[in-house]
Amino acid sequence: MTDREGVSEAGNATIRPGDKKGGGQEVATREELLAQTFVELADTLVEDFDVIELLTMLSERCVELLDAAGTGILLGDATDTLQMIAASSEQAQLLELFQLQNREGPCLDCYRSGQPVVHPDLATANPWPRFGPVALAAGLPSVHAFPMRLRDWVVGTLNLFMAEPRPLTAADIAVAQALAHAASIAILQDHAARDNRNTVGQFQHALNSRIAIEQAKGVLSERAGITMDEAFTRLRAHARSHNLKLSTLAASLAERTLPETRISEIIGAAVPGGSKRSSRQPAASLEES
Amino acid sequence: MSAGRDRWLRIAAGLTGPRDNAPPLSAGLCSRCVETLSVAGTGITVMASAGVHVSMCASDPTVRRLAELEFTLGNGPAVDAYEGGVPVLEVDLVNAPPTRWAAFAGPAVDSGIRAVFAFPLRLGAARLGALILYQPRPGAMADDTMADALVAAEVITRAVLTMQSGMPEEGLMAELDDGTALHAEVHQASGMVSVQLDVGVGDALARLRARAFALNRPIADVAADVVARRMRFDD
Repeated sequence: MTDREGVSEAGNATIRPGDKKGGGQEVATREELLAQTFVELADTLVEDFDVIELLTMLSERCVELLDAAGTGILLGDATDTLQMIAASSEQAQLLELFQLQNREGPCLDCYRSGQPVVHPDLATANPWPRFGPVALAAGLPSVHAFPMRLRDWVVGTLNLFMAEPRPLTAADIAVAQALAHAASIAILQDHAARDNRNTVGQFQHALNSRIAIEQAKGVLSERAGITMDEAFTRLRAHARSHNLKLSTLAASLAERTLPETRISEIIGAAVPGGSKRSSRQPAASLEES
Repeated sequence: MSAGRDRWLRIAAGLTGPRDNAPPLSAGLCSRCVETLSVAGTGITVMASAGVHVSMCASDPTVRRLAELEFTLGNGPAVDAYEGGVPVLEVDLVNAPPTRWAAFAGPAVDSGIRAVFAFPLRLGAARLGALILYQPRPGAMADDTMADALVAAEVITRAVLTMQSGMPEEGLMAELDDGTALHAEVHQASGMVSVQLDVGVGDALARLRARAFALNRPIADVAADVVARRMRFDD
C-alpha cells in the first residue's frame, strides 16, 4: 500500500453516470448543455458532416443529459433487423445488449409499436426473459427506448441504459425523444447520400457507413493487436485530429487504399490514460480547412 | 410481421426462391428482377477485383451490351453507383445534361431506353458491383418500387457473396430468412481475416462464409471465434 497524498478524488471530474446530483459544482446545468447540444447540432447540419461521428456525439450527449450509463442509436436494416449505428461506448458488453434486442427487449418493442418504452426497474418487473437477466447482470437495471420516426414510418430507436433503477421524468422523456428526432434528421441531412432523394437510400447509406466502420475496426484490431473498442477510439481520434470524416477514413482503411504511413500513425496514436471527454471543440466539426 | 420484413421476404423469394427448371442463380437473377420489380430491363455487373468487371447477367442482349459498354468506358450510371456507393437515378436520358455519361447516353437512347436507375451492390467497404434497371419511358420510380429496388440490391449483394464463397444456392434462402446473420461481429471478423489473408473485406467475408459452411456452424459463431482470436485463417 502506498501512501498517496494530495490525490484528489476530483481529479476525475467528468460527469459520471450514476453520480448523485447536488454537488453544487456541475459544469453546466442540463438546460445549458441541452442548448449547447442543439446549437452544435444545427451548426453541424449545415456543414459537410460525418453522420456516424455526429450520431456518436449525440449518443454521448444523451449519456450526460439523461444521466445514463450507456446509450445507442439503432436502425432497422433491409431485413428489418435492428443494427447499432452509433453508441456512447463501443464496449462489447453494451453492443451485445443492443444485438440481443433483435430477439426481444425495449428497442424491439419500441420499433414494432412506434411508442416509447420506459422501464424503470428490471429487478422488480421484467417482461423480457432473455434480455432482462443479461441487462441486470451488466448492472443496467433501468432500460428505455424511444422511436426514431419519419412521419409514420419507424426507422429505428434510441436506447438508454441506466445504472440505477429510476423512472424517467416528463422532462427526461421530452429530451430523449427530441434527441431521437435529431438523430433521424441528421441521417436525412447526410450530404454524402443526399443526391438520391430517397429516404430509404439515406438510411441504407448510414448503415453501410457503420458496416465499413466495423470492418475497419477489425482491420485495425488485427494489425495492432488491440480490442475493437480501442480500435474505434483510435480511428475516431485520428479522424478528429486530422479533420477527416470518420466514415471516409474507416472505408479507406477497410478498402485497403489508406497509405501505410497513415495506418502506422493511427496504430501509434495511443491515448495513454487520456480523458475521452469531448473538448469544447464541436465534436463533429469536420469542415475542411 | 412488419412491412419491412414482408418486403424483404417477398423480394428475396422473388429473386432467389426455388422454381421448377430454373437456370442457375447467376444466369437467372436478371430475368427474375425484371418480373419482381416490373421493369423493362435489368443488368448486374460484378467486379472481380481491381476494377476487372464481369457482366454477371442481363435480362436481354441490349442490356448486356449497354452494361459492358459503360464499364468499358468507365462512364455511366452503374459505374457511378459502384464508385459512389449510393444509388444513381436518371429519370430522362434525353433531357439530361449532355455532359452526363456522354458516350453511354446516346447508345442507350438508341436502344429504346429513357430512364436508368443504378444501385450499388455493397456491404460497407466491400464494393461488389452494381444493379441497373432500365425503363423505356422517362419518369421517376414510384416510392414503393424504389423501396423494392433497394431491397433487391441487398438481396443480390448477399447472392453474389454466396456464389463467391462457393456455397450451394440452397443455403441462400435460409440465410436471407435469418435477419441476424450479418451483425457487427461478422463485419469485424471480415476486417481481421482481410489482414490475415491479405485480401479485400468482400473476399474475407466469402472465406468466413465458406468456413462456416464447411464446419456446419452459423457464420456469427465463426466470426465470434475470429474476434476472440480463437480462430485464424492464415495457419
